[in-house]
Order: sequence, then structure tokens, then C-alpha cells
Amino acid sequence: MNVVRILVQQARRDRVTLPIWILGTVALLAVAAASVGQEYGDAAGRSGILRVALATPALLALRGIPNGDSLGSAVHFQSFAFLAVTIGLMNIFLATRHGRADEEQGRRELVLAGPVSRMAPPIATLLLGVVANAAFVVLAIGGYLSAGVAASGAVLSSIALGMIGLAFLGLGMLAGELTQTSRGANTIGVVLVLGAYALRAAGDALGRPDVTKITLEPAWPSWVSPIGWGQQTLAFTDNRWWPVGLIAALAVVAVGAALLVHSQRELGASLLPERTGRATARRSLASPVGLAWRQQWPTLIAWAGGSALLGLVLGSLVTAVSNANIGNAQIQVILQSLGHTGASDMGRTLISAVMVMVGAVAAAAGVQAVLRMREEETEGRLETVLAAPQSRIGWLLSYALIATASVLIVLVATGLAAAAGFAAVDQGDNAWLSLGSAVVQAPAALSFVGVTALLVGLLPRLAVSFGWAVFGILIGFGLFGGLLNLPKGVERISPIATVPALPTDDWGPTIIVGVIAVVATALGAMALRRRDLST
Amino acid sequence: MTTVIQASGLVKKFGRTRALDGLDLSVAEGEVHGFLGPNGAGKSTTIRVLLGMLRGNGGTATVFGREPWRDAVSIHRDVAYVPGDVSLWPNLSGGETIDYLTRLRGGADPALRARLLADFELDPKKRGRSYSKGNRQKVALVAAFARPAKLYILDEPTSGLDPVMESVFRREIERVQNDGATVLLSSHILSEVEQLCDRVTIVRAGKAVETGALDELRHLTRTSFRVATSAPLAQVSKLIGVHDSRVEAEHLVFDVDTDAIDRVLATLTQAGVSSLTVTPPSLEELFLRHYGDRIETEPAA
Repeated sequence: MNVVRILVQQARRDRVTLPIWILGTVALLAVAAASVGQEYGDAAGRSGILRVALATPALLALRGIPNGDSLGSAVHFQSFAFLAVTIGLMNIFLATRHGRADEEQGRRELVLAGPVSRMAPPIATLLLGVVANAAFVVLAIGGYLSAGVAASGAVLSSIALGMIGLAFLGLGMLAGELTQTSRGANTIGVVLVLGAYALRAAGDALGRPDVTKITLEPAWPSWVSPIGWGQQTLAFTDNRWWPVGLIAALAVVAVGAALLVHSQRELGASLLPERTGRATARRSLASPVGLAWRQQWPTLIAWAGGSALLGLVLGSLVTAVSNANIGNAQIQVILQSLGHTGASDMGRTLISAVMVMVGAVAAAAGVQAVLRMREEETEGRLETVLAAPQSRIGWLLSYALIATASVLIVLVATGLAAAAGFAAVDQGDNAWLSLGSAVVQAPAALSFVGVTALLVGLLPRLAVSFGWAVFGILIGFGLFGGLLNLPKGVERISPIATVPALPTDDWGPTIIVGVIAVVATALGAMALRRRDLST
Repeated sequence: MTTVIQASGLVKKFGRTRALDGLDLSVAEGEVHGFLGPNGAGKSTTIRVLLGMLRGNGGTATVFGREPWRDAVSIHRDVAYVPGDVSLWPNLSGGETIDYLTRLRGGADPALRARLLADFELDPKKRGRSYSKGNRQKVALVAAFARPAKLYILDEPTSGLDPVMESVFRREIERVQNDGATVLLSSHILSEVEQLCDRVTIVRAGKAVETGALDELRHLTRTSFRVATSAPLAQVSKLIGVHDSRVEAEHLVFDVDTDAIDRVLATLTQAGVSSLTVTPPSLEELFLRHYGDRIETEPAA
């Protein structure tokens, strides 16, 4: 009965987290279903768009394999791979939260000191996972049906997603047996989820399209990915159930292996030994700049890599859009609004629109880097550093410098990736335009760095929540203000909406936004000099 | 003798609570100064004000004659600090953390660093997140001692150390004191303070309630006697300076004020003594006299 008590306690701990994951993922599906109905139009429209997608490897890599032209098929194509990633991550984090994290923090020891079997906690976590994924399946079927698609396909697709979730639950539990830290377990799990997505991206992009049936025979990499198996259900056309069995087999093997290792393993031990570090520091670790860089670069690679991938895809996206001539007036208006440009050429409009979003990604990387300061302060490490002859202003500027570098690296990496994509298809003009459009986002993105640094100096306790709130609101206004018909004045509050798209002769707003970034950072440094450290 | 730390009437308010309420502290050059008090008495707050992390709301404080808030950076060139609750960077190894912190002060003495790692039996390759509390404290201690400083500020530095490591720690304190350094050692472990410190300041509720050399402070306490003597209880208990006298297992047991010891001894020898146990005044008694049983119950400020 202790398994039930532990299950109840784990469920209680997750009473907010899990509903957010499940409802958020279902909402993603419902929104996709609703928007497909609007954007793709009638059967002829769907068929046209899906045929274009079949000819565009970048789109196939991003979305998955098309499969028929019914409404359900279109929703499935639009959302299945993304939903699989989301539900996979939910399960990985669930497994770690109640597995390795509990063990690492010493909570497991407290529980096992009672009359509790060693196997009770992982079995409780397994049950919690089954319940959570079942709840998701039920709600996802509802989400599909709300768009008026075929019930058989909706049930199959939802169950396939739930089974993918269980497979990643097992893999997450196994990852927790492998490593000693929750961070390590989460890293392995996230790599597995993203790897499964990337493998099927490669396989789908390299697959053999069948234009008459509007589907595609993927290349082998899709066959080593549980997400690829899920697509093979061909929900809404052939409705095959055997791939679900394949995924279920993976789930059983992973869970079984995790439980087997767990039954033999000592508390706190792991299959992989904890990696040791260096006995002495590299020469670069001698100042707050060195430390901030050391903390930031692994995260920065993720930001820049993800964003550069988007840049790389941009080339083939623009080519597809121009060739297919799907440039209907409505999409053009949407893109012009997103890119804050009046360009009439579809390709140029698309470049501007994507680069504004890349600017938002760069700003997020910068905000995240600046907010590391608060973590240093609340954890008490700032106190140790400032007890050395290290000025507060210099310390803040070090983190601002690394945040600035993060912003620039994301923008330049994405700009270069996009330029390389265009250069490969002999579109030199667009190559230069995309590099320039990326770099010109710098002042706007840096203004977020400055404002967040000011918050750290002025309102330390609120800096993290306010920093992200300011970011979310201003990026939201800037990106979607035009689409939501907000007054221009309101939209212009956002730095990313104020800065005009290239080519332009109006550099005034860009310069003003850049000056705001510098002034806000300087004020933040002065404010930090004037306040107590606050934990 | 020059004064290294001077604080008078220091006040620090957090909202409505007065964490420091007119605290006085004076530490002379070359001394090991014990800073005693229970949790929440204001020890760490005082240290943070002295380091310029917090700004006092009243009173004055100087370190090396300079103002800690304004001149934090220049003061810290000569300061080594071990915080009470050591937090390390989770993905940096202990060795990297030691190097980083000492390089901020100008760099470690490599031979000293190696010897300290050996003496404290610390594995520098482990990552910050995998150290226990005691080992985190060792990382901070090695970082503090691996580069000579003029002033060492140590906030309960041994709370996670085992007795063997405590003795290594005491050796290091003696070494830096012989080199002429000044040490401010906050603690609530009385034996440690008795062994190491020349002078102590006892704080309570944000105020210094007692300060002075250990010997001076002992004068304020009573010595315990346990005597087998033919002198009757009534004769001893009526002497001025004798307290709590009683008979226990055919022994006279009583406490004596320091200035009355002379008289008591004279009386006892006249009557004849067959066995005598004298317990010297301990710091613990001094401490308990100021806090009594309220140590356990006093809420943390």
C-alpha cells in the first residue's frame, strides 16, 4: 500500500506541473487543428499546400510526412511531430523529477528508511506516468474531434502519441539509472527526444514522395525513431495499428531495463561514473567575465545552434514559396506585419519576418544570460566573489558583456547560416539581405539585455519574473501587434517593432534603441552599487 | 596596537526587525577575535556590513581605517573570507573554484595550495554539486588560506568539519596568526573559541553584551569547588562570595566569585582538606549566564 501512498504524494507534487504540460500540449493540438481549417482552406487548398510540402525537404524535416489530404491528415501533418516532442519532454522530466532528482537531493533516503520497498518509488512513478499519458490521450482525442476530423484517425494518432510518451518515460527512467545527477539524466533524456525528432527529420527529408497518394516513403533514419514509428500509423488514411505495438515494445523494454537496474543498484549509485572535473582551472577562469562565459557557452550553443538551423531552412523555404506561387495576398499581409516591412516580394518579406523572430530568440538568450546574475546572488556565490577585491559595477558589466556576446553570436550564426543556404542556391542578394537583417536586430535585442540588467540592479527580487514578463509582453506586441490590430503607438513600444526592416534609410529608431540598451545597463550597474545584496 | 576592525553603535534594519541594534566591535591587529552568539544574534549581518555587502542604517564601521561600503574593493585586497553557508558553482570542480576565488585576489601560492589540499584531504576534481557540506566548507577554507591576507573573516568555518579537520583548521589559524594576520572568527562552538581566541565579543539580539580578553572575562565568572573537608557547610556558606553551597555525597559543593577564592581557601585549609576538585570558569558558563535556557527558545531574528 506504500506504493499508493507514494503515488499520491508524487501526484500531489505534480498537481500544477502535469496539468500545465498536458493541457498545454492539447491546446497546441486544438490551435493547430483550428488554424489548419482556416489557413489550408477546402480540400483543393489542402491538397495544393500538401503537394508543395512534399516537394520541400525543409518542410518535411520540420513537420513530418504528409498522408492524404483530408482535414485530419492536414492537422496530423501540421502537429504530430511537435506534439510527440512535447509529450516526450513531459515524460522525461517526470521520470527525473521523481527519480534521480529525489535520490540526489536525499529525499529518497528519507522515504526508504521507512518500511518501503526499494522498488516502490519507481513503480509509483511508472503508474503516475501511465495515468498522465492516458489523460493526455483522452484530451487529445477531444482536441482532434473538436476540429471535426475522422474519429478512427483521431483515436489512433492520440494513442500513438500517448505510447510515445510512455516510451520516453521508460527511457527517462533508464537515464536516471545511468547518471548520478538529475541534470545529467535530464540532458540524456532531452537528447533522446530531440534525437528522435532529428532522425525522423532526416529520414523524412530524404524520403521518396508519392504525389498521387500525397504521402512519402521515408528513408531509414525515420525507422530508428519512435516518433518516426508513430508517423507510420498513417492515421486518417490507412490507420495502421502495428506501429503502436512497436512503440509499446520499446516502452516495455525501457521500463523493464530501468526497473531491473534499479532492483540491483545501491542508493545513490549509477551505471555511469560521475565525471570528474579539472584539478586546476584554465587560465581564462580568472575574472567574472571568464566565469560568466564558462557558465554561458553550453547554453549559448543551444540557442545559436537552434536558431542557425532555422536560418539554414530559410533558404529552401523561400525557394519553395517563390516556386510554388502560393503567395496569396493574405499570407503576404501576415508576413509583412510580422516582418514590419512593406516589401512586395514574397521572399524578401519572408526573410524579414523570420529575422524578426530570430531577433526575439537572440533577445531571449541575452535575457537568460543577464538573469544568471540573480542566481549568483540568491545562491550566495556573489557574496564570496565580492569579498575579493572585485567591484560590483565590474561584475555586472561582465555579465552584460557575456549577454551582449550571446545576442551577437545568435544573430551572426543565424545570419551566416541563412546566407549559406541562399548562396548554395545562387541567390547572392538574399544571402546579403538575410545576414544584414539578422545583424540589424542587435540593438533591439540588446535593449532587452539592458532593461533586464537595470531590473537586477533596481528590483532584485522581482528581476526574474519582471525580466521575462517584459520580454514576453514586448515581443508579443512587436510580433503580433499588427495582426491583432493594436494601435501603432502600442506596437511601437516594442523595440523589435520600432526598428525598421532592411533596406532602410531611417536609422534613427535603431540608434535610439541601441542608446537605451547602453544607458539601461549603466543605470543597472549604478543601482547595484547602491543597494544591499539580497538573497 | 592598531585597530583593524572598529564598529560602534552599528544598526541594521531589515524591514521592522533590527538585526543589529547598536553593536560595538573592536578587533586589534594581530589578534584572533572570537565573535560569539547563538543563531540569529547578528553575527553574519555584522560580517556582511564589515564586508560592504550590506549598508548599515546607523553607527560607524571601519576596516583598516576605511569605510567598508565605499572602499569595499580596496579593503578586500587584504581580506580572506569564508561564508557561513558555502555555495559552490555546481559545474565547476573544487580546484577550479579555489583557483577562481584566489585569482580574484591576485592568485594562490601554488605550494601552499597543494599543501592545504593534502592537509584538508580534499579531492579538487569533484564538481561543486557533488561535495558534502563539510567538503564545500573545505573548498572555501583552502581558497581563503591559499593566498596570504592581512585579515581573515571566518563565519562559523568549522560547523561541517570533523574533529581531525578542526585540528587542521586550528593549525592554519595559528600559522596565519604567527605571520601577523588578524582573524575574526564567528562561532557558537565555545571550545573552539577558548582554544584559539585572544579576545571575544559576545553578541545577543544585535548588541555586544560582553567583550574583552578571555582571562578578563573569566574574572566575571565563578569557580566551582568540590571539597572533602571537616569545615561545616554553615561556615563556608556564610563567607562573602560563596554561592549555591550544598552537600553532595559527603562533599561540600559551591561556587566562588573570583575575588573571594583567597578567603575561601584560607578557611578551608584551617579546617583541613582531604580532597579538592576545582573547576575553572568556562566560557560556556559565561555564555549561559547571558543566554541561559533562552538559547533554544529565542526566535531567529
